[in-house]
Amino acid sequence: MNKKIISLFFLSLLIFCSASYSLEVIEILGGRANQIAIAVSPFKEFSSQTGTSKVHQVIASDLDRSGLFNTLDTDGVSNPPSNDLNINFTRWSALDAQFIVVGKIDQTVDRIRVSWSLLDVYKEKTVLSMEYAGKPSQIRAIGHKIADQVYERLTGSKGVFHTKIAFVKKINDDKYVLNISDYDGFNVRTIMNSGQPIISPRWSPDGKQIAYVSFEKKKPVIYLQELATGQRTLLANFKGNNSAPAWSPDSKKLAIVLTYNANSQIYIIDSDGGDIKQVMRSRAINTEPAWAPNGKEIYFTSNKSGGPQIYKLNLEDDEVTRITYEGKYNLYPSLSYDGKLLLFLMQDGGKFKVAVQNLLSNQVLKLTNGPYDEAPIFSPNGHMILFSYKDYGKTSKIGTVSINGLKITPLAVGNEQIQEPTWGPITN
Amino acid sequence: MKIIKFENNYELQANLFSFVIHLTLLIFIMFTVDWKTKAPHFSEVDLWDAVPTQVKKVKQESVKKKNIVKKKKVIKIKKEKVTLQREAEIKLKKKKAAKKKVLALKKKKEIERMQRKILNQEKISKLQERLLEDERLEKLQEQLREQDLKKKERLALEGEKDMEAGVNSGELERFKMLIQQKIHQNVNKQLCGLDDVSLIFEISLMPTGDILGTPKMLKSSKIGTCDEAVERAILQSQPLPMPKDKKLFRKLKGLKLKFSPNAIN
Repeated sequence: MNKKIISLFFLSLLIFCSASYSLEVIEILGGRANQIAIAVSPFKEFSSQTGTSKVHQVIASDLDRSGLFNTLDTDGVSNPPSNDLNINFTRWSALDAQFIVVGKIDQTVDRIRVSWSLLDVYKEKTVLSMEYAGKPSQIRAIGHKIADQVYERLTGSKGVFHTKIAFVKKINDDKYVLNISDYDGFNVRTIMNSGQPIISPRWSPDGKQIAYVSFEKKKPVIYLQELATGQRTLLANFKGNNSAPAWSPDSKKLAIVLTYNANSQIYIIDSDGGDIKQVMRSRAINTEPAWAPNGKEIYFTSNKSGGPQIYKLNLEDDEVTRITYEGKYNLYPSLSYDGKLLLFLMQDGGKFKVAVQNLLSNQVLKLTNGPYDEAPIFSPNGHMILFSYKDYGKTSKIGTVSINGLKITPLAVGNEQIQEPTWGPITN
Repeated sequence: MKIIKFENNYELQANLFSFVIHLTLLIFIMFTVDWKTKAPHFSEVDLWDAVPTQVKKVKQESVKKKNIVKKKKVIKIKKEKVTLQREAEIKLKKKKAAKKKVLALKKKKEIERMQRKILNQEKISKLQERLLEDERLEKLQEQLREQDLKKKERLALEGEKDMEAGVNSGELERFKMLIQQKIHQNVNKQLCGLDDVSLIFEISLMPTGDILGTPKMLKSSKIGTCDEAVERAILQSQPLPMPKDKKLFRKLKGLKLKFSPNAIN
C-alpha cells in the first residue's frame, strides 16, 4: 500500500514538472545567401626555396570564386599558426572568422609535403586535418585539392577546384586553337590547331574525350578527340551541317544537330559512330541539345512557338514540354548534375544574360548583367558557371559566376579572343 | 236579267276556240308520239375538242355562259352559306369567351383568396419565428455577456499573476522577435539544398545573452552541412538580446528554435 502511494506521488510530481517546464518557441522562417567567413592563414614554409608559400592564396582564391565563402585577408597576420595546436581562437573570432585553415610546407629538393588543418572558430575544434605530398611544381594542384576538401566538408558538395576546362582561342582571324587549362585558367596547353573555326567543344562525362565542331572540311562536321593520345575521329559528316554535340551521361552516345532534311533537327548517334536515329522531327528549328542527368530527357532550343525557347523531349514517350516562359528569347540550355537547375542564356532588355531556372519552383534568377554573355555551362557540382562575355572593346573573354550570382571572376587566359568554354568532369 | 246571245258573245267564242285547239293538240300528241315502255340502249361517244365548228363554238359559248351563270349562282349561295356559318361561329366564340372570362375571374378571385390566406399564415409563422429568434438572441447575448465577464475576470486574474511575476507579455514578444531577427540574418540557407527542410534546436541562455553549453539539436534536416550551418547561425548570433528584468529573463532562459531555412519568409 505504501509503495503504491509513493509511486503515485512521484508520478504526479513528474506530470507536474513536465507541465510546468514549457519552453518559449521561436520560429525562424527562411534564411540568407550568406557566405562562410573563412581565414586561410599563410602556410609556414620550412625550405630554402621560395615560391611555394603562396599556396594559401590558391586555396583562398578557389573558395572565394565559389561565391559561398568570404575569404578574410590574412597577409598581415604575424606569426601564423602552422598546426591546430595552441590556436588563439579569440584572435580569429575578432576577425569575424567562422573557420580557419592553417598549415605548413616541408620541402626537400624534389619533394614537398603539405600538412594542413581546418578549424571551427565557434566550436574551437579541429574539423579536418590532412597531408598531401608531391613535386614542387604541383604546389597549385595541392592547393586546389586542399580547397576541394574544405569546400566539401563545409558545403556538402564536391569541390571542382582541381578540374579542367577547355576553350577556343582565336588568333589573328586565321588561327583557331582548342586549349585545355586548370579551371582557373592556369596551366594552359593546346590540343588542336586549325586554320578554320572550332566551335562547341564538349567534354565527355568520363573525361576521356572532347567532341567539337570543326569547319576544316569547308562545312561544320563533328570530331571526337582522345585526350590521352590526341587521336581524332570524324563522328558526323552527313549531308548539310553537323553541329552542337552533347554527350549522354554515360558517354556512350551524343545528341547532335543535322540539317540533313532542310531544318536543323536533333539526332542521337553512338559515340563510335555506329547507330544514328532522329529524335526530333518538326517544321521548327530544333537545336542545342543538352542531356538531363537521368539520360531519359533532352533539353533543347526550338522556335516552334515563335522566338527561341527551351523545351524538354522525353525520349521514352517522345513528349515535348516547353520549359522557359520568362522572356521572349531563351536559348543554350544545360542541366546541373542533379537535374534540378536549368542554365540558359536569356535576352533581357536587349542584353544577353546568364540565367538559371529552378525546375521545381520554375523561379528564374539572372546571374549576370550581360550585355554580350554567351555559352554558359555548369561546373560539375552545379555551384559555378563558366561563360564567355565581351568586354567593352568587344574582345571575347571567359569567366566564372557563382550559382548565387555573388561572385563573377574573369579567367586570365590571354588577351586574344577566348570563346566557347566547356568544363571537364570531376576526376580522381 | 240580261240575256246575251251567242253570236255577240266573243269571249265565249274565244274560250271555246282555244279549248278545241288544245284538245286537238292533245289528241295529236297522244297518237303521234312513240311512247317507249323499254329502257333505251346507250351508246358511247367520244367528244373531240380539236375539231370545233362554228356552230359548236356558239353552242359551247352559250353553254359556258350558262355554266358561268350557274356557277355564279352557286358561289353566291356558297358565300351566303359561309357568311352565315361565320356569323354563327363568331357568335359561338363570343359566347365561349364570355364564359371563359367569367371562369377566369372566378379563378383569380379564388387564387387571391388563397394567397391572402397563405400570406396571413406566413406572417403568423414569421412573427412566431421572430419571437423565437429574439428569444434565442437574447439568450446568446446573455451567454456572451457572461463569457465576456468571465474572460475579463480571467484576464484580470492572469494580468495580476503576470504583474506578480513581473512578466509583461508585450515585452516578452518584443524580445522573442529581436532574437528571431538576429538568428535569421545568420542562417545560411545555401547549405540546405533546394527542398523544404526543418530543424529544431534547444538552447539555454545566460543573462548576458551567451549560450550556455552548445545548442542541442532535437530535429535534424538530414543534411549535415545544413545542420551545421543552422547551429553556426545560433552560435554566431551571440550574444542574443536579453531583458534586464530577471523575471522576464526567466521566461527566455530556455528557448526552442524551429528553423525552416528554405521557407519563404
